[in-house]
Amino acid sequence: MAKKIAFKTLGCRLNQYETDTLISQFKKGGFEVVDYKEEADVYVVNTCTVTNKSDHKSRNTIQQGKRIKPDAVMLVTGCMANHRKDQLNANEQITYVVDNDRKSSIFSIVDAHFKGELVNPDEYEKDVFGFAVGEETIHTRSLLKIQDGCDNFCSFCIIPFVRGRAISRPVQEVLENARELIRIGYKELVITGVNIGRYDYEGILFEDLIEQILALPGDFRVRISSMEPEGFGEKLYSMLNHPKLSPHLHICLQSGSEAILLKMRRMYTARSFSEMVQSIRSVRPDMNLTTDIIVGFPGETDEDFQASLDRVKEMGFTHVHTFKYSKRDGTRAARAGDQVPEKVKSARSEEMRLLSEENKRAYRSSFIGKQQRLIIEKSGNAYSLGLGEHFVPVKVMGKKLPANSWQLVQIVGIESGDDPALIGELL
Amino acid sequence: MEKASTKRGNSLSEVRVHEVIEVRHLTDTAYVLRMTKGSMDFIPGQYISIGKVASIDKRDYSIYSSPNDEYLEVLIKEVADGMVSKSLRNMKPGEPIEVEGPFGFFQLKPDTLNERKHLFIASGTGISPFHSMVTSFPELNYHLIHGVRYGADAYEKSMYQSNRITVCSSRDGKGDYYGRVTDWLKENPIDQSTYCYLCGNSDMINDAFDILEAQGVPSEHIHAEVYF
Repeated sequence: MAKKIAFKTLGCRLNQYETDTLISQFKKGGFEVVDYKEEADVYVVNTCTVTNKSDHKSRNTIQQGKRIKPDAVMLVTGCMANHRKDQLNANEQITYVVDNDRKSSIFSIVDAHFKGELVNPDEYEKDVFGFAVGEETIHTRSLLKIQDGCDNFCSFCIIPFVRGRAISRPVQEVLENARELIRIGYKELVITGVNIGRYDYEGILFEDLIEQILALPGDFRVRISSMEPEGFGEKLYSMLNHPKLSPHLHICLQSGSEAILLKMRRMYTARSFSEMVQSIRSVRPDMNLTTDIIVGFPGETDEDFQASLDRVKEMGFTHVHTFKYSKRDGTRAARAGDQVPEKVKSARSEEMRLLSEENKRAYRSSFIGKQQRLIIEKSGNAYSLGLGEHFVPVKVMGKKLPANSWQLVQIVGIESGDDPALIGELL
Repeated sequence: MEKASTKRGNSLSEVRVHEVIEVRHLTDTAYVLRMTKGSMDFIPGQYISIGKVASIDKRDYSIYSSPNDEYLEVLIKEVADGMVSKSLRNMKPGEPIEVEGPFGFFQLKPDTLNERKHLFIASGTGISPFHSMVTSFPELNYHLIHGVRYGADAYEKSMYQSNRITVCSSRDGKGDYYGRVTDWLKENPIDQSTYCYLCGNSDMINDAFDILEAQGVPSEHIHAEVYF
């Protein structure tokens, strides 16, 4: 009988990509992949450690798996496995702790375990790009990993300590991976990494790589996921109207206050960020811009927070991923005085959320009367849900459309609620 | 089983063990820690993270020496209740010390090195990366403005050409200028074609940035390295 394996992914898109490819690998290897709430022979928790809350969630998830089947193999990987390795290794509930560098070896580790071999995960090969192409994943879009690690060392961030130094995947390997994904039938490739704007492989920079991916044959679109502003070069502006490039960019502002940005050791000013947004909009006025904002960074005053609200309003971010600042040991900001009380952080977070929703509704409403080319993500009798090229959700009512198919629709309305989908009619 | 290899791993922390060569005391609280260089290669302006062997407490310091030197130096100011800066001061020649790095993007633009005027603005130990730059590129056209509280805190001022450094002391008149670097900047407008590099505490950098921009220096010509 096939062994059962369950996965739980916490945190970022990169973790999701890595889990997706592992799922595919285990399915090919004869495992039955089950929901994490079900009984399984192996539980894999792909952890996150970016905030205290993430650590807490990761610990709860480990316990949840062990409660369901106490004698199951519990394998913990991801950033917490790097950040808290000794602590996790000392936890008797956990069978294996696999660091990020060796995550792509998880299939070999589990396979060796069931063959009765003595397994030491630290002896496996380090390969942050060793993930097989995910043919049988749980998503219709595919993530395309081009880079790992970060050298920026922002004062609040633990990521360089747990994901390691920046490393770029060889160009030919990225292109080969992209070709394979297009051949399998993926229609959207989402460019993924820890700090993708810093891509530099033997002088080929991020924008050069994007140009080469866009030049590949096939009917697909490319979406640049989360990036830092320093990766935005002149060539990228010239590509913003490329028919295969999705007009959605998630560029991390983090704060609208110049003083706070300096303390965060970000490498731009709010003014230069704003100029960059103006340049983007001058090339592509309908660009869907989303961002990350940290509220309650040490020393953040009401005026600093107001500056963040003002910048979010001015730049029209249609979604703000708001993080309440969380102290991470080993970072510079953790040693700073002036920590902001939790109550204040929560109030600021709520205010930012409301502004984000307001912007989102205004932006999405602007599509009424226009067309969108969807990739259908969910197919149902009541409606089918797809994502338009601007990364806006669109429902086509009363039509069960094939998943992962292209559909051209006319936008005729918008739902109510805080994350309103657009309503589209087939053309 | 496949054996470990670092070929495609992104090394998490390349910790190297160096040896202390000497501690050179500059003032009651500031000192230069000189270590063996080993195989470390860096670009002037970058920083390293250092601490005692097996200690979880590490701190970041800009590299004070030049890549051309046969040793590695950092300039450290002892912090009143600081754990690391105090313990490093008491290190003895021959003692091992853990070094990670180099890190950072605070570096001169290679294409402007010989053509442009450079303005370096430092507060306190923020002079460190500029010392590395100046000693690495002797032909550099620069002016260094060093903000200190007292004239005596002008660390190793004699190492710079006297016409290229201005010490701004805010609490006594023993510098070249009595006042803050920001006061000096307001009184001495900067040519718009100058490349400006700022290093030190964030309040100074924030204020200096505004002054430079108001004087017409384009923001893309202003680069900063913040010490919290």
